[in-house]
Amino acid sequence: MAEPTYIRLDIHGQVCPSCLLLTLKALNQHCGAIRAGQVEIVVMTDDRQSTSTIPGAVSKMGYQAEVAILEGGYRIRIYGR
Amino acid sequence: MAEHPFFLILVTSSLAGLLAGFVMHRSDFCVAAMFRDMFLFTDFFLLRMLVLLVVVSMLAFELGRLSGMLRPYPFPLLGAPSLASMIGGLVFGIGMVLAGGCVVGTLYKLGSGSVAGGVAFIGMIIGSALYAEWHPVWSVFAKATALTSAITLPQVLELSPNLLVLPLSAVGAYLLWQWHRQGKLTRPSYAAGHIAPWKAALILSLIGFISYLLVGMPLGITTSYAKLGALLESQVWPEHVAQLTFFKAQPLAYVAPFGSETLRGGPGPAFDAVGAIQYPLIVGIILGAFISAKLVGEFHLHYRIPRRQYVSALLGGVLLGMAARMVPGCNIWHLWGGVPILAGQSLLFLLGILPGTWIGSKLLTRFVIR
Repeated sequence: MAEPTYIRLDIHGQVCPSCLLLTLKALNQHCGAIRAGQVEIVVMTDDRQSTSTIPGAVSKMGYQAEVAILEGGYRIRIYGR
Repeated sequence: MAEHPFFLILVTSSLAGLLAGFVMHRSDFCVAAMFRDMFLFTDFFLLRMLVLLVVVSMLAFELGRLSGMLRPYPFPLLGAPSLASMIGGLVFGIGMVLAGGCVVGTLYKLGSGSVAGGVAFIGMIIGSALYAEWHPVWSVFAKATALTSAITLPQVLELSPNLLVLPLSAVGAYLLWQWHRQGKLTRPSYAAGHIAPWKAALILSLIGFISYLLVGMPLGITTSYAKLGALLESQVWPEHVAQLTFFKAQPLAYVAPFGSETLRGGPGPAFDAVGAIQYPLIVGIILGAFISAKLVGEFHLHYRIPRRQYVSALLGGVLLGMAARMVPGCNIWHLWGGVPILAGQSLLFLLGILPGTWIGSKLLTRFVIR
């Protein structure tokens, strides 16, 4: 299977709730490709709240989320399958 | 030094601020998000945390009053409920969404390195100082639209507070029990050193109780934003500041629980009881959040954010600063302190903040985060 295309969102320092809003916007724009496993969204952020809200919101929509703690922030990967 | 009337106040407020800042950063206890997420995402999770904080404080304050531990009752600086409080709440709601946090939320965000939080903080100082220009007109409006001269709902109804507060706390406790059984009071978080918001709610209500016990009132900070604004403005325009009636007023005059003399204070630039209570809280919250962020390696300044977010943070801050004086009082003061004792001003503020947050959410998604 081909490697998915990554859509990277750098949301460091932005006003809340930029993380969740911009993630949902990207999900809506690419929903078909994400569900098919062709595209994944990778959010880089320092927003602690989004490590809770993004996985909660995307799982309700049928997507998966994976949070990794990085140096000074978080990487949240959102994928379809 | 220990006999100095401000000593206990300074120590209590500093420690309260430090602990509150640390806990709010770790749990991301954002009051703006509590209301905003309800409108933006139909997410009521954080609002449940506010209900928890209010119900616990309601019960604690009432037990404190009944046992004679908490005095004065109602606490100082609460005024007659008027339409001004509701309109102020509406403007406050818009401001806190645009600023990305309330008057305390922006402080803990600033402490953890948020540049937008810092811009909102500057906006709040500007807004508070601007309010002084039209305070005479607004205070006439507030007096003209006062619904009653009583401070709290039990006073309006001429009932003993426990007859209203205890049944309301029982209803709140039942709701919380139901939410607990349905697993609605917790949710997973992957943030480093995370403190669950329900624990933060309990800690913050304990801090509010201790502040009431030792300082004579729960947490509040916004008069000092005006104070800071007056202090800065008086450096460049001293004659103008000296003639503004708002800065001459001394609305605080009370005897602290463990003091013997009357302490006075107001929004003017001089260091007084208001400064002694609130400045350490402001510094403490920023410092507490800074320590928390440093300990988990998350203190980083990020400047490169869309320009419109800076504009929004500044504008939101100005609205917050003005609104906090129009009410008067902020969300922490009214929601964590006034609502638990059913203060009329606080209940009207709550009524105003709901449509305000809704309008703010619309503006945010239309113009700011796109």
